[in-house]
Amino acid sequence: MPKQRFSSVAAAGAAVLLVLAGAAAHAAGDPRRGADVFATECAECHSVKAGKDKKGPSLFAVLGRPSAANPDFVYSDAMRTSGIVWTAERLDAYVTAPKRVMPGGKMKYDGLADAAERADLLAFLAAQH
Amino acid sequence: MKTLLHRIRIHRTRLAALFTLLALGLAAGDAAAVPSFARQTGQDCVACHIGAYGPQLTPYGIRFKLGAYTDSDGKDGKVPLSAMLLGGFTHTAKGQAEAPTDRTGTNNNLVLDQASLFVAGRANDYIGAFLQSTYTGADNTFALDNADVRMARTLDYGGTDVTVGLSVHNTPGMQDPFNTLPAWRFPYVSSSVAPEPVAAPLFDGGLEQHVTGLSAYTFINDSVYAELGTYRALPAGALDTLGLGRDSYPGKLDRSTAYWRLAYFQDLKKSAFSAGVFGFDTGIDPSGDGSGLSDGYRDLGIDAHYQFLGTREHIATVNASYIREHQSRDATFAAGGADNRSGQLNEFNLNASYTYDQTWGFTAGRFMIQGSRDATLYGDGSASGSPDSAGYVLQADWTPWGKEGSWNSPWANLRVGLQYTMYDRFNGARHNYDGNGSDASDNDTLYLFLWTSF
Repeated sequence: MPKQRFSSVAAAGAAVLLVLAGAAAHAAGDPRRGADVFATECAECHSVKAGKDKKGPSLFAVLGRPSAANPDFVYSDAMRTSGIVWTAERLDAYVTAPKRVMPGGKMKYDGLADAAERADLLAFLAAQH
Repeated sequence: MKTLLHRIRIHRTRLAALFTLLALGLAAGDAAAVPSFARQTGQDCVACHIGAYGPQLTPYGIRFKLGAYTDSDGKDGKVPLSAMLLGGFTHTAKGQAEAPTDRTGTNNNLVLDQASLFVAGRANDYIGAFLQSTYTGADNTFALDNADVRMARTLDYGGTDVTVGLSVHNTPGMQDPFNTLPAWRFPYVSSSVAPEPVAAPLFDGGLEQHVTGLSAYTFINDSVYAELGTYRALPAGALDTLGLGRDSYPGKLDRSTAYWRLAYFQDLKKSAFSAGVFGFDTGIDPSGDGSGLSDGYRDLGIDAHYQFLGTREHIATVNASYIREHQSRDATFAAGGADNRSGQLNEFNLNASYTYDQTWGFTAGRFMIQGSRDATLYGDGSASGSPDSAGYVLQADWTPWGKEGSWNSPWANLRVGLQYTMYDRFNGARHNYDGNGSDASDNDTLYLFLWTSF
């Protein structure tokens, strides 16, 4: 196996492990309650349908996705250069305080302080793939 | 709008033109919904509007308006043009004494209330506009309707967002982001050929589209809204050019004309609310050249709104406002148009709505106008000289589009509605208000409308 291809497979495996670890960490989340949280907090600007961008990009299969991965969406410079991979932990931190995680980002959202609601939301998003 | 009518009793020729303009062109002028904003932002109509159709704003819509209509999805090539059609069937409990226009009958009128074209969108990151011109089918006229050009910028002061902006607009109060002031208050749409009470505060449509206003505003930390502005009447020639008619010139407004507004707003995601106060103070010289006496109007108001938003499946709203107007009628009194040199009008509005699945809407509203009697000033419609009117508006509507996955979203929207207006007092009395045996309930109006925009 070529070295470069091996590296890619290893990176993908690591990303999957990160996502699974993150998902386990948020296993307490209830995706049905998370759907309500999404409807209240996110759905004005985001869809979970594949390819359906609104003011914000589609959140279909967002867990494990690198930031600024949608070529059809116009991201902020901060998002494009962040290098973030949206693990559950990263997403949880971002939803908690978007401006702290992504200074210069475009998302006009103050954050969701309730940890249980975030866990439900992440459980819902994890199911969107 | 009716106070204008009173003043222009001095000039009967103006009266007819102005009454026609106000009753026909502006009664339906509340309506506005523009898919070009949806295309610009990438949002569905439901993001900005309760029930997926304008003009009742959600918290997102409030921020979009205060941000000068500039928010976008970052993609170029959006054309800021929209169009709107509003038509309906109007039935009153008894036929009107005279047909509202020469194109309509005394009852059971099927009318194209409005056909509007909009330029609505952003010019750049800081400047945007909402410009509406409207054809009114009932009287076959085309004129400038609502106009609002804004510039705004949001600054970060130590982690606190502070939006500062300027608005140039043509109707006092239309620049307000909450649906409690008269310009965008329920009912959001109404028949252009239905009878209306003779009196209302000047701030309630009296200068609609006949002035140019400049106001500066700020929105601090998404919660405190403050605004200060002033107005000048559009010259008669400009009104003529805009299709509003030279004869509708309201007179010269005092240089001290002032509008102020202070409100507190909270977006709690599951709900939102605001509470505020406002004032409008002007003097109008009907002679137009500043040489004559003036009529003075001092309007003070309080307002509040609450929205339960939840998951947006079940949405409930309550809106309330109270306006107290003090009139000094030096010009009208001197011209024999009023018996009293001063008077007052109080206007109260309260409405509550429920929307299911952002599709099915039900709204109930109560309105009351009370004021001091003046047999000459209100004599054209009120035998007692009382301006008092009161009643209810009930509306049920169906808005099938405007949501994620809707047909042809964001290119088209549609609302079909049934509205019923009931009067328990009209121009001063429940019974025989005009001295000719007419009862308030004779003016009860059923309005079946179809409203679409694209």
